[in-house]
Amino acid sequence: MIELDQLSKRFGSVTALDDLSFTVRPGHVTGFLGPNGAGKTTTMKIILGLDTPTAGTALVNGCRYDRLVRPLHQVGSLLDATALHGGRTARLHLASIAQSNGIGRRRVAEVLALTGMEAVADRRVNGYSLGMKQRLGLAAAMLGDPPVLMLDEPVNGLDTEGIGWIRQFFKTLAAEGRTVLVSSHLMSEMALSADHLIVIGRGKLLADTPTAQLIAANARHDVLLRSPRAAELAGLLTARGATITPQPDGALVVTGLDAAAIGDLAASRGIAVHALVPRQASLEDAYLDLTGESVDYHGTPVTASGPVTERTPNPMSTAR
Amino acid sequence: MSAAPLNTVTVPTAPARPNVPSIAVRARDLLGCEWTKFRSVRSTYWTLAVAVVTPIGFSILVASAFAAAPPGGTPADPLLPGLLSLEYAVIAVAVLGVLSFSSEFGTGLIRTTFAAAPRRRAVLAAKAAVTGTVTLIAGEVVAFSSFFADQAVLSGHHLGVGISDPGVPGAVLATGVLLCVFALIGVAIGAIVRHTAGGIAAAIGVIVVPAVLALLPAPWNGRIGRFTLLDAARQVTALHPQPDLFTPAASLLVLLAWPAAALAAAALLITHRDV
Repeated sequence: MIELDQLSKRFGSVTALDDLSFTVRPGHVTGFLGPNGAGKTTTMKIILGLDTPTAGTALVNGCRYDRLVRPLHQVGSLLDATALHGGRTARLHLASIAQSNGIGRRRVAEVLALTGMEAVADRRVNGYSLGMKQRLGLAAAMLGDPPVLMLDEPVNGLDTEGIGWIRQFFKTLAAEGRTVLVSSHLMSEMALSADHLIVIGRGKLLADTPTAQLIAANARHDVLLRSPRAAELAGLLTARGATITPQPDGALVVTGLDAAAIGDLAASRGIAVHALVPRQASLEDAYLDLTGESVDYHGTPVTASGPVTERTPNPMSTAR
Repeated sequence: MSAAPLNTVTVPTAPARPNVPSIAVRARDLLGCEWTKFRSVRSTYWTLAVAVVTPIGFSILVASAFAAAPPGGTPADPLLPGLLSLEYAVIAVAVLGVLSFSSEFGTGLIRTTFAAAPRRRAVLAAKAAVTGTVTLIAGEVVAFSSFFADQAVLSGHHLGVGISDPGVPGAVLATGVLLCVFALIGVAIGAIVRHTAGGIAAAIGVIVVPAVLALLPAPWNGRIGRFTLLDAARQVTALHPQPDLFTPAASLLVLLAWPAAALAAAALLITHRDV
């Protein structure tokens, strides 16, 4: 259980967190979502006692983090998988962390096995891929077998197999009754791995709901309709209680009736229909709707015409 | 936890605080952690090798130069080669001290460290204890090795002293403390500056500035100089201390006050900063 109560954090004139309150409950994988710069990492650092909040409190299992004795038995965390001394082996890295909380060498071997790192455990970590470092970070988080796990962007750098593995890993942990908080800036990832979502933007809470409910609440269910007799059909549909939004290209967007009803109606009047497309907003769209106002850094949309095309493509924009 | 009555609220994970380990156990845990970190990186062995090998070799060279000096002038202090030769060694151990914190701040590992041990002053104490103990042992090895090597050179010219001569054991022991003093100052600077390059620059400043103060016109060079590490070190390690500076005992206090003050400043700053 993680409880945030009216948490605020200001860095000079910049407000990173603004009166943020939420509770992360055990037994679920909770996705912690927000655009880059929304305050996810700051929130996690405050929970871990690394940053001091300007106002408000963060409690873990009812206790302030800096009051915990041997905290790794209460909270396992992974903030930055690359935060390692490159010259140290994975085994000694884990052993040093384990010792600080009175955890023995046997547990170090266990978490290495748990994360599939045994074969490389005695190599210096500066030869590791990002995916291996993520696994090592998870191993460190699991050292104390903690009831609460908190991970910042743990999926970054993992390959497809690794992502599947980590999703299953989180679900298993949650099923064991643990509290699992996983941050991401990718809604698509969270849709698959989290059953509860907390969305923040610019340090403010935007949503705190079950994943399914967030989709339902933000989803647009509508039907895109094209017909040579669009105006006539629009009148008929409106009479049946549908709402019509004409599009600039002559198409109609219909809400309030499903595609089958629209098609049947058109057929019964002998009106040709050229396109009848049911549209459902994805979770990604719901997320964009939610956070659209709160994104700090907007990119300029690239258009096919205009000066943008004359620029040399920026290699950074495609580098992933 | 909504409006459910208190007695039905289930708290599934928070265990009753398991028997809290004693302070001694927690200290042992942190010391073990820092010792594992200390011995598991190569920079430790490089800096210690520099700190141990160079001064022993260097002091033999200085002793040979003393022995070769034409007779007639005031004879140099026979323990001086052991001190002069530490010049590079103190930089090496100061770097070792700085790195104990700055390498963690530089990589972000410090967050893992502080998340595992939220009492940051205990982390500072553990790092200081590990680095201090190792450099104290290394320092005494250097001091006694240099002493016996130097006296072997000097005794051929009837300039040497024996380990049991009055004042000699204390002075040699005090020479050995110097590496530890500079290593602890390095630890404190690392915790305060948090940046490797800046920390090393600051540490070298602490080592070099006293030599600049020595250029002040008399009597100010002595009046200010006696509070510096350089003159204090000279007094505690000399067979014949200079009368115009602090006594060896007072100089030893000066020598210990520097790392104590630096560590106190680090302890004040370390708890309040975001990492």
